[in-house]
Amino acid sequence: MTVTVSASGLGLRYGSTHALDEVSLRLRRGVTGLLGPNGAGKTTLLRVLATAVPADRGAFTVLGHDPATARGRQELRRALGYLPQTPGFHPDFTPFEFVDYVAILKELTDRAARHQEVRRVLAEADLADVRGKRIRKLSGGMRQRVALAAALVGDPGFLVLDEPTVGLDPEQRMRFREVIARAGEDRTVLLSTHQTEDVAMLCHRVLVMAGGRIRFDGTPAELTARAAGRVWSSAGRDVGAKAGWRTGDGGFRNIGDPPEGASLLAPTLEDGYLLTLDGDLAEVTA
Amino acid sequence: MRAVIPALVVPVWRTLPWRTLGAAGAAGLLTTGLPRLFGSAPGAWFALGQLRAAALAFALGLAFLLDDPARHGTAPVPTGRGVRIALRVALVAPVAALWWTAALLLVPGPDRPPAGDVTLEAGTACALALAAATLAVRRTDDPYPGRPAATALLVTGVLAPLLVPDRWALFVAPQDPRWAAAHERWAWLLAGAAAVWVLSLGEPPRRRSARPRPGPHGS
Repeated sequence: MTVTVSASGLGLRYGSTHALDEVSLRLRRGVTGLLGPNGAGKTTLLRVLATAVPADRGAFTVLGHDPATARGRQELRRALGYLPQTPGFHPDFTPFEFVDYVAILKELTDRAARHQEVRRVLAEADLADVRGKRIRKLSGGMRQRVALAAALVGDPGFLVLDEPTVGLDPEQRMRFREVIARAGEDRTVLLSTHQTEDVAMLCHRVLVMAGGRIRFDGTPAELTARAAGRVWSSAGRDVGAKAGWRTGDGGFRNIGDPPEGASLLAPTLEDGYLLTLDGDLAEVTA
Repeated sequence: MRAVIPALVVPVWRTLPWRTLGAAGAAGLLTTGLPRLFGSAPGAWFALGQLRAAALAFALGLAFLLDDPARHGTAPVPTGRGVRIALRVALVAPVAALWWTAALLLVPGPDRPPAGDVTLEAGTACALALAAATLAVRRTDDPYPGRPAATALLVTGVLAPLLVPDRWALFVAPQDPRWAAAHERWAWLLAGAAAVWVLSLGEPPRRRSARPRPGPHGS
């Protein structure tokens, strides 16, 4: 499959902190998940790829557009849909008015065609019934879907979604996943999340970030396979484990190098993710 | 781009901080109109002070012009930041001109300072507010650059008359022999603020120097 997003050696420093440290990646059509602990650099990477913040070093292209030049950046933005981590709204706008405003900013100037496109994305985000209601009167989940509709408007070829399912109830999350899965059928979608279930259900590929670097790049099955034979249960906390946590049945689930005769468990994507973080596990399991 | 700007006029007009601007404008008009309400003549020096205070009040409101709760989501769009900021300024400029005319007319004719010179002062205050807000937009990720910009302007407005040395005096009376020289300095200040504003409109091609405000989860 054709590479749609290609980055090499991306770096961004804030003082002495490397928010991004030599990040290279190649994305193809479909949904790619981006996992990582807080402070891993996920949001920074997404913001760089969305041209919301420029990198210090490195280069990247999206659908053949290079943002190093003003013209390339503008072309890239024409092909981009971006849902930020904390989307904000003009509260007196209705979903229709807000998405229409974003559509104008995306240079959809023909009024009739634009309104048709706005209605289409609002329907896709399951907001058709509330399109005339003020945004300030909508629930958090609905607002999140307004932000998704704004990202989808103009049929962008590259969709960047920063923790879109955070704070949603299970039903809302399910609806969101459906929209994202549909979007990934014919676009490149980069989805940052803390929810390994999102990745397991949506993504054909997953990246794990920590300390501003990519620690893993592969399929969800490959990430899960990293934990094969490295997950076991025990009655008490196993001091030899890299990480362990109490489960609902009063026992412990451990990951790392199991002791001889340990009762091995089937690994999950989360186990593989935690083992990939390795050095960062202390923070995760503290 | 030519087709985008007319389409943006109405939605951008609706996103302007009209309540803040209205409050600032009302405070300014109240400052200049209060003596007239009580039927007293303020005197030339007092009237000049009133107009300066009114201009500062309005400029403080103008510092909030670029506050945009939707900034994070609308940052990476093909319509450039400079165009959007310039449109906001263009939409508010006629309102500001009308407001200033009203403020000037509220001061009785005999007490009114030279309109051109005092308008230069007011224009400079507004340009400084816009330059500060635009610079804050360029250097930070804050969707609300108005607060730091207004604070900086207020501190400058209060401290400048106290700290600026006599030979660079800006806040002088019309009968003061330094009036003309002071307004030459005001003109330079206006040009400087305008230059900072224009230079801040663009998006930096590569490096940013300020740390973005961290989100609730990510980095």
